[in-house]
Amino acid sequence: MLKQNVSVLISAFTLLTLLGCATARDTVRVSDYNQFAVKAAQAELWNEAIFRWRQVVAMEPGNAKALNNLGVAYEALGKTDEAIAAYERATALAPDNKYYRLNYRRCRIHVRRKGATEDEDVQAEERLE
Amino acid sequence: MSAEKGLPKMKMFKQRNGWSETFPVSALGIVFAALTLCGCGRAATRVSIPVKVQSEIDINRYSNFAVLPFAREKRSSRDEAMPQRVGEEIASILRRGLARQKHFDVVSTQETSRILTGETVAEEWLTDIEHLSELGSYFDVKAVIVGNYRFDTDSRPRRYYGERYSIQRQRYVMNYQDYMQKTYFLTLRVLIIDVENEQVIWDESYRRSTAEAHTLGSFIFSQAGPQENTLRELSRRAIAEFTRRISPHYEREDRYLVQ
Repeated sequence: MLKQNVSVLISAFTLLTLLGCATARDTVRVSDYNQFAVKAAQAELWNEAIFRWRQVVAMEPGNAKALNNLGVAYEALGKTDEAIAAYERATALAPDNKYYRLNYRRCRIHVRRKGATEDEDVQAEERLE
Repeated sequence: MSAEKGLPKMKMFKQRNGWSETFPVSALGIVFAALTLCGCGRAATRVSIPVKVQSEIDINRYSNFAVLPFAREKRSSRDEAMPQRVGEEIASILRRGLARQKHFDVVSTQETSRILTGETVAEEWLTDIEHLSELGSYFDVKAVIVGNYRFDTDSRPRRYYGERYSIQRQRYVMNYQDYMQKTYFLTLRVLIIDVENEQVIWDESYRRSTAEAHTLGSFIFSQAGPQENTLRELSRRAIAEFTRRISPHYEREDRYLVQ
């Protein structure tokens, strides 16, 4: 009986340890990917940066940082619709982050210059409020 | 021998000044604050991205232009000293600038001269929109670009203060040098006339200046010498600004990447 309990405990401990390791590895991976992508973006390798941030978003769909950075990369390549979508998700996930809001605002100014309708603009402003 | 003598110097200093208790706490606080600030500084990375800036006019509608020679502004104080063909030269610089843009077609200088044979563009033309629109229809264009220019110079004595080493006094002493500063100003007014609606769709002035330093001798020469090169350079700068405004282009803008 004691032997059984010990083996169950050991199995549970091993399982938990493995799970912990896996989660830690994922976190490290996400952080590494983000760091690498930021460096790629600084070197203006936007396609590479997008690839990395997409992987981060695939791993963690609620990663606001990656979504914001993805928005910047899309905007740099002139893909304004994708950029707006990414910024919207980032600001929805972290509404108080000043950097996400700033990027989103600036992007919207350009969209407005391109001729977006007043209604779309008001809607976006409401979302930010 | 006192007991203090055996203590390390730092400890004695601390005890004398009475901050032995607070020192480690404040030092830790400073280190912590510095680390926190460093961390905050690295939270976001500023990157510069290319952003497309749209034309300030409807380039789908106004895709071809006729550029008429620029007229001299009558108020200009140095009218008589100006070369005769300055207006035509400004127009040809503008034509070249617009022709480089893929969105615009421009009537050539030869074609413009041919159609304007016997006519001299005067400042009064700028207010006669009907006449300009009629000319535009001869050129078979959507819009006509006209304008005027004013070229002024302003000269005044200046004093430059500096330092020189005096061997006699064995130190640096204040020194000054008098010179003449001659500043050239060019004001270029550019109008775009919609030929079909007979309306002014663009009316802006661009002012550019450049200055040069002269000794008395070189100043006298510069007064008598030609000014075409300065005028051409200033025109080029003013026209570059106008062309940039009416054609789509890229500008760099900052964005923030979060780490």
